[in-house]
Amino acid sequence: MSFARSLLLVAILPWSHLVAQQRSVTTSDVFSRYADRVVKIQVVETGSAAKATIGSGFFVTGSGHLVTNYHVISKLIHDPDRYRAELIDVAGAVKPVAVLGVDVVHDLAVLGTEVRPPAHFSLARVTVAQGNRLYSLGHPEDLGLSIVEGTYNGHLAHTRHPRIHFTGSLNPGMSGGPTIAEDGRVIGINVATAGNQLSFLVPVERAASLLEQVLGPGDDPPARTLEAIGQQLRDHQDAYLRDMFVGETKMVDLGPYRLITEPAPFFRCWADATRRQELPYETVRHHCSTDDQLFIAGDQSTGVVDVEHEMISTKKLNSSQFFSLYTSVFANDNTPGGEEEHVTSWRCGTRNVRNAALPMRAVLCLRRYRKLGELYDGVLKVAVLGRGDSGLVSTLTMSGVTFGNVDRLARRYLERISWR
Amino acid sequence: MILEVVHPGGARTWHPLGERPLTVGRGFSNDLMLDDPYVEARHARIGLDENGGPVIEDLGSVNGLVGKDTRLPGRVPLHPGTEVRVGRTLLRFHDVEEAVPPALVDATASSATTAAKESQKRLARWRRARAVRRVVRFGRTTPARLLTAAAAASAIALYSWLGSAQRSSGSEALFAALGFAMIVSVWAGIWAVASRVTVHRFHFVGHVGVAALVTLAGLLWSVAIEWAVFFFPDAGLSDVLSIGIGLVLLAALVAGHLSLASGLSRQRQWRAGFAVAGTALLIGGLATLVEEESFSDVPTFSGIVKPVAGEWLPTETVDEFGGVMAKLKEQVDEMAKP
Repeated sequence: MSFARSLLLVAILPWSHLVAQQRSVTTSDVFSRYADRVVKIQVVETGSAAKATIGSGFFVTGSGHLVTNYHVISKLIHDPDRYRAELIDVAGAVKPVAVLGVDVVHDLAVLGTEVRPPAHFSLARVTVAQGNRLYSLGHPEDLGLSIVEGTYNGHLAHTRHPRIHFTGSLNPGMSGGPTIAEDGRVIGINVATAGNQLSFLVPVERAASLLEQVLGPGDDPPARTLEAIGQQLRDHQDAYLRDMFVGETKMVDLGPYRLITEPAPFFRCWADATRRQELPYETVRHHCSTDDQLFIAGDQSTGVVDVEHEMISTKKLNSSQFFSLYTSVFANDNTPGGEEEHVTSWRCGTRNVRNAALPMRAVLCLRRYRKLGELYDGVLKVAVLGRGDSGLVSTLTMSGVTFGNVDRLARRYLERISWR
Repeated sequence: MILEVVHPGGARTWHPLGERPLTVGRGFSNDLMLDDPYVEARHARIGLDENGGPVIEDLGSVNGLVGKDTRLPGRVPLHPGTEVRVGRTLLRFHDVEEAVPPALVDATASSATTAAKESQKRLARWRRARAVRRVVRFGRTTPARLLTAAAAASAIALYSWLGSAQRSSGSEALFAALGFAMIVSVWAGIWAVASRVTVHRFHFVGHVGVAALVTLAGLLWSVAIEWAVFFFPDAGLSDVLSIGIGLVLLAALVAGHLSLASGLSRQRQWRAGFAVAGTALLIGGLATLVEEESFSDVPTFSGIVKPVAGEWLPTETVDEFGGVMAKLKEQVDEMAKP
């Protein structure tokens, strides 16, 4: 068996070797040309002098400004007394860096150093065609500066904040590094991966506008503190939530119920039904969610809005049995998790509420963020009452929003549930 | 306790029983002399056992102590309502507090109709009290206790069946009833052994009856609470009420078992019951205090829904629900303060 396999490998090897050689000409050119503009960024715990996080960054001005991801240096924002950040250049020299501004929504940060780099990237708006070859630079897993080839696949269709789909394997540690075209134009900043060559970049123009804000005259100072990050989140959520569920909203019919679906184009919806012979009831689920989570800290992310409907119906259970099932479905916990450092415990209020169409049991659970000012997580759960053989549990989850928007959206959501 | 003696001719006499033992017989040296040829010279002794509970003891007589047509063991614990025959004489025991029927109206002495009415009322009150006493007395009999146990097992089976959303709801219900029977048997068994040690009688069925009665009450109560919480989710009374009733049920359980397993007075039985319940409350209270302070990312809310027609349900408007949300905001804002 192993003999047969090694034969096969030998048979393939010369050909693939040849292909690799042909390509490596340009890749190694790109690498040697631009490697000195990319540095390793590490956040160090001052007490133990041990590395807490590592990432990559790249020079964008001749006076030593660097761009990286917010999540690379987030510890410094949360606990500036306990951490410091430094860069390690190609030659291995270590220099201190300071955070000059962050954009938490797009996961970007601009850093300042006293280093005067011999060369730097420019952050000009660029257009690339789908399929173009791109090169990503960074320090994967702290293994040394590496270059990764991949292709440009356009912007993601279903996200609230723009992301470039890059088909190449980004790995932890490459975060904050640049992804460039052959000629050295920056296309985006490495930010995330979904595995199997499915990677995401922040478009370069976001970094350009943050840099502009940092270099600007100062009437609009860039965010550097947790309070300022909180303000960025509040502005961000207000922009897309304030008018949600107003006017024409897409509705979906589930059994006898008419419900909100796909509140905005950046929601993705899924549906699923369970009809099993051994169960005396049926379940239909409908779920819409914004995919993009905003990174706040290693153990806190936010920004997801989620609409979930679960209809159960039966022809075999009596109404008492059915309602005990309904109670257990309603009591199911599907709230986001959290750490005591970042959020309070939940507080919930329950009432039997009637809108223009139907009676329901409504629960609102609320908790507040501890460090980011007036931001809350709110979960509205509704169980429609009045039928003995079918029930609907509907949940609206809002994370990282102001109370004003929790209140507005919860009211609109309650008003919108109706019979078919 | 009061001893009622029904003599062979039908005449009755009453004798208060105190701490001091009382001998019963035909001899002149007895405390209670009976003119009955079937009674020994020294026939029996009424006194307190080692636990302070009243008993009657046979002093080795030929005819012994007789219950309802059967000869009783040599030593019989006494309760209000106990009847023991010695020879042809009936000894019947009463509680001191037991109400006697009111006086009849003497037409020659009091012609006023108001007095007659008052007398009628008293008589009715007495009859009601007697009916209750009879029910309580019946409740202490073995068939009543078995009936209670059967009722509790059926209630548990019904509750389980109504709460099951599985195909196999029938077998689940049966399983719940059998589980209940098993647990109650073990529980009553432990108490029975304790009773054997303390009062020399097992009272197994009695202990089963006590446990079943308390279970039944607890089950009814929890169903009532569920409905109350469904109708009035914000009343906030459910916790207070369920803890309060839980304590009373626990106290009743302990007192009930002690009434069979000890010679303590009724007041002492309840005092012991509430002592146990109070300790449980204290431990539970401390546990909640500790838990209350700790952080949790899992919310707690009353997610009970019940099959009720919409028009029967008291509801609020969406605007009123807005007020609930504003209150929650105040609470979490307070919690977020450093």
